[in-house]
Amino acid sequence: MAVQRRIQKAEDLNLVPIMNLVTILIPFLIMAAQFVQLAVIDSTLPAIGAPSTSDEKPDKPPLNLSLAITDRGVTVMGADAILYPEGAPEVAEGETRPPTIPCKSGGACTSVEDYDWTKLTAKLNLVKDEYPDEEDANVILVPDNQIKYEVIVSTMDASRDDPSKPGSDGKSRMLFPNVVIAGGAM
Amino acid sequence: MSLNKARRPTEPAGLNITSMMDMMTIILVFLLKSYSTQDISIAPSEDLELPVSTVQKAPEMAVNVVVSKKNIVVDGVPVLSLEKAPDPDNPGQSRLQIPEDQKNGQLIDALLDELSKKADTAKNIGAQSGSSEHEFKGRLLIQCDKKLPFEILRQVMYTAGQAQFSEFKFVVYKQE
Repeated sequence: MAVQRRIQKAEDLNLVPIMNLVTILIPFLIMAAQFVQLAVIDSTLPAIGAPSTSDEKPDKPPLNLSLAITDRGVTVMGADAILYPEGAPEVAEGETRPPTIPCKSGGACTSVEDYDWTKLTAKLNLVKDEYPDEEDANVILVPDNQIKYEVIVSTMDASRDDPSKPGSDGKSRMLFPNVVIAGGAM
Repeated sequence: MSLNKARRPTEPAGLNITSMMDMMTIILVFLLKSYSTQDISIAPSEDLELPVSTVQKAPEMAVNVVVSKKNIVVDGVPVLSLEKAPDPDNPGQSRLQIPEDQKNGQLIDALLDELSKKADTAKNIGAQSGSSEHEFKGRLLIQCDKKLPFEILRQVMYTAGQAQFSEFKFVVYKQE
């Protein structure tokens, strides 16, 4: 007696309900997806008020670090004693002092990349070595009127921390994270 | 020679959705990865290109001022438009500025009105809730196009300062 053998057919998994679920999930997730990461830079208005009166004379004058941003480069002000141990460079009468960190191209900076941010970070590292205290971690930005906003943001980046040097928390070394934007030349 | 082929009864053709499932699963994983619950959102446009920064601080809720190449918007309400004016330093070129008739020295009148209203509302909410969490802290989120000159930003900041906003938070793209 011959037994008729049917070829056993594999039963297909019914994927349709899962497909339905996934199709509904996808539009929902697209709505909530964020493709760019946002962050914020803190800045305060310059504080106006009486200077703090303390009986103790500080053994060294407080750091009053400012960065003047012009189209020819960045000038570090208020730290001449550290940056120029042999005395500030002589400037001829009637001429303005050249910026501490001139543009890479020499003349007027053409783009953000033309500013020498690594050099600025290196200079500020020297200043931080002299003033390691937390209270001094203030920097005042004085940009020119026509300086683009992206240059100001890059200056804040360059003065905030130094990723090439390890800090106390194992991350990059903190330099001057508190930024105050001054009015600049009116 | 027979031309008659034996006709088999046709089975209903089943759609093979396995490969589609694979694709969907990959998309699902990708979207779950980019899922975010951030407080603020931005509307990207040609006129508002934020700068990129290495800062790591996450944004928080506050009054939102958008300064694009076209106009200034406070919490979604357009306040004033910027204008193009000839640039005195580079003849033949134009630069963006706030219209002269809209401002009073450094002060931008329309922006001051809007921001003062926002500050008053925030102070009212703070006073009525009584908790320090909702207190008015003068925080202002500033989204500014990266090509705008500092002059415009300074006038916006000065005006915000007059409206008792003193803590500025510049919104930037986080560097990957």
